[in-house]
Amino acid sequence: MYATALSQSKPMTDPQDPEIFRGVRAAFAEALGLDDDEVEYDATIIEELGAESLDLLDIVFRLERTFDIRIPRGGVEEAVRAALEEGETLETHGILTEVGLRRLRLAMPEVPDEFFKEGLKTSEIPLLFRVSTFCRLVAELLEAKRAEEPEGGPHLV
Amino acid sequence: MPDPRQFAFLVHPLSPFQRRVMGVRRGHLGAAVGMKAPDLASGELCRFGVGEALEGRVIALPLLPGTLLEDQAGAVSAMRQVTESLEGVQAVGLGSLLAVVGGRGEELARRVDVPITTGAAATAWAAAGNALEVARAVGEERVAVLGFGGAVGEAVARLLVRNGLQVLAVGKGKAPTRRAEEVGVSLRSVEEALGATRVVVGAATSGGALAPEILQTETVLVDVALPSTLAPGPVPRGVQVLAGEAMELPPGWRRGFWGWLYHFISGYGPGQIYACLAEPLVMAAQGRTRPYAQGRAVVPEDLEAFCRDAEALGLKHRLATGWRRVATLGG
Repeated sequence: MYATALSQSKPMTDPQDPEIFRGVRAAFAEALGLDDDEVEYDATIIEELGAESLDLLDIVFRLERTFDIRIPRGGVEEAVRAALEEGETLETHGILTEVGLRRLRLAMPEVPDEFFKEGLKTSEIPLLFRVSTFCRLVAELLEAKRAEEPEGGPHLV
Repeated sequence: MPDPRQFAFLVHPLSPFQRRVMGVRRGHLGAAVGMKAPDLASGELCRFGVGEALEGRVIALPLLPGTLLEDQAGAVSAMRQVTESLEGVQAVGLGSLLAVVGGRGEELARRVDVPITTGAAATAWAAAGNALEVARAVGEERVAVLGFGGAVGEAVARLLVRNGLQVLAVGKGKAPTRRAEEVGVSLRSVEEALGATRVVVGAATSGGALAPEILQTETVLVDVALPSTLAPGPVPRGVQVLAGEAMELPPGWRRGFWGWLYHFISGYGPGQIYACLAEPLVMAAQGRTRPYAQGRAVVPEDLEAFCRDAEALGLKHRLATGWRRVATLGG
């Protein structure tokens, strides 16, 4: 299901998995002091929801506890780096290269194209994060967990 | 004489150097010379006394920031293990990132019987006291509070409003918009707020985000952000940056060599401590079991209780630049 969603180039505007969205939304609401309905699926977490760096830590912890997963630090940037082919570079002096931008766009299909502007800094990548980014990340991690544990399967705790 | 009331404060090394010092203190040769030393155990760094009635222990967990960020569940387990080993302790405070990981103390509190407090109320109390004193000294009736969306920013704003100041609050997102009216502050952009006053409280948790040159000449920044609110670069002439969380040593304060060294290395300096350390101290002194701060928000009633209890114990904020007391303002 999510593999299909990830292969699309259009931003996702509706939750692909309502159960995951419910858990993610609750984690954001608790960590940021918001009502559940204030956490919209396509909201940017820094500009629109007002999350700061320590809030992200809190959000990650709540997601890990809710879904019984481990979210790796710097996951998006690492995924983009891993997708680079030999000779390709992600950034120069902290600014994403053309290929870096292209790879990042592929890695974050939920973000509209206009946000991947030339001159984007690696330090600005978190500004692109949306609630939907975390929904996708959780879905991917649950999928990976499912693949590792075919009998048990992931569950909400 | 009855046994002193006891509190504990859990800390962790912020750098490999601090971890080496911890190795020296724990008598672990490998850690002391900078080896990875995964067997370095948590343990006591030092003890403080406040008069004869209060005793505090600082317990260090050998976890560097990277480890804490990578494995929050593991950090909570380590804190739990340490907390359960502390006998007779009436309150436990959390320092640095330990106050953030695991849902800002909530997860640890769920797992242990001892009250857990994060230091946010004490931090807000000290920062508001410092900002209030600065505002009075320079004749400002308005104070800008950066990071209004966070627990400390909102608590500072609340205390400043209570003391009759007009607060220009800066915060992103939906929560600040909703909270502004209830707290009694005006929401402004950074530019508007910094252009309207020379007294600024930096309480955003994403430090390093403010370009120094945006500050007016003669601005005093009361900074509680770690890393600092200001982006790296020269601070404009006439701008002062104060350690917002600084407070005077509590009356009757006693510390041995290791206590002195801990303070020195942690940047507390010879005449002051950071307010977060005072939060479990005040809890133990008052015999209070409800934390002053835990989780995301500082409850207004708990904030008021901390202010009242801290002042009853004679605790005072301290205007300081780093370690040094500020003699004059604005110059």
